[in-house]
Amino acid sequence: MQPERHRAGLTHCKGTKSTMKTPTNAEEDLADPDITDVARVLAGDVNAFEGIVRRWQGPLINMAWRYCRDRGRAEDLAQEAFIRAWRGLAQWRRESSFSTWLFALAANVFRSDLKRFPTVNLPLDEIAEPSSPATQHHALAARFSADSVRRAVLALPRRYREPVVLFYFHEMDVAAAARTMDMPEGTLKARLSRARALLRRRFPHLETQHAEMELAALNTGKEA
Amino acid sequence: MNGTDTDDPKMKLTEIDRILGTEAPLIPTSGFLASVMESVREEAAIPPPIPFPWKRAIPGILVAAGVLGWGAFEMIRHGLPAMGSSSVALPHLPAAAVQPVEQAGWVALALGISLLSWLLSRRLAGRSGLL
Repeated sequence: MQPERHRAGLTHCKGTKSTMKTPTNAEEDLADPDITDVARVLAGDVNAFEGIVRRWQGPLINMAWRYCRDRGRAEDLAQEAFIRAWRGLAQWRRESSFSTWLFALAANVFRSDLKRFPTVNLPLDEIAEPSSPATQHHALAARFSADSVRRAVLALPRRYREPVVLFYFHEMDVAAAARTMDMPEGTLKARLSRARALLRRRFPHLETQHAEMELAALNTGKEA
Repeated sequence: MNGTDTDDPKMKLTEIDRILGTEAPLIPTSGFLASVMESVREEAAIPPPIPFPWKRAIPGILVAAGVLGWGAFEMIRHGLPAMGSSSVALPHLPAAAVQPVEQAGWVALALGISLLSWLLSRRLAGRSGLL
């Protein structure tokens, strides 16, 4: 899940230029609610943190959910991330956008918590591959396939799991995932590639299915 | 795995990409925001830890280190000739044990230092608002 704020944060970080008007730093700060709220919190206004939580609760819970696939735990992890953010708010140096800083901090919290209390996962080989959709009701089969693939991500070796989680959380943005992991993009791409290969090997049926769907779509297009 | 994937994972979208990329977002529960803010307010209510008073402690630490160093130096200075002259270490009674007036003087000095230390600590604690 990528909220509008997240996208705005990344755009701000990349320093896009406006042809209409070049805002000064002070104007930019006033326009960014995160910067305003952080300044208020650092000045002693505890209630200003509520705005930050309100804007980022969805993304952080969804990010935590992708790490553990447990709704209750995801909220606990997100809450812990917000409390750590509260404690360390003064450490945000504005070298990166607020979202980049917050996601990196949250990823650290989730990673260390899951290291201490790992989720109970089946080994990758033991996760059942869904049978052909032709033999089942299509919607049910599709849902089962999706669940299997998502559970398989958590069964990946740790070094491959997190790049996959963050890559898809950031809507397949390698640069954003690399920033969150504080890792070079090349390393992340290599791990991602390896993880996707493991998943493809585990679910060859899905690849065939996808190719068939693409072919069907192509044929439909030609007929039209 | 093909080479294209290594270069750019976006190049070839597969069914796996579609499944992992399109996930229904979770909506936070109604009490989540309130719960986080409650925890944050609890954190904010805790007074910050009192920093260790290094400026005040450093003179004391230096004096203590000096006394210890002097003590060690004296022990070595008196101990080395004694070790050289006798193979058996005999207990050596201090002169204070045989001179009661001098002994009383040392006791009074120790009590005085203790009293000064106690008064100083009370004064420092009073400034910090602990007393």
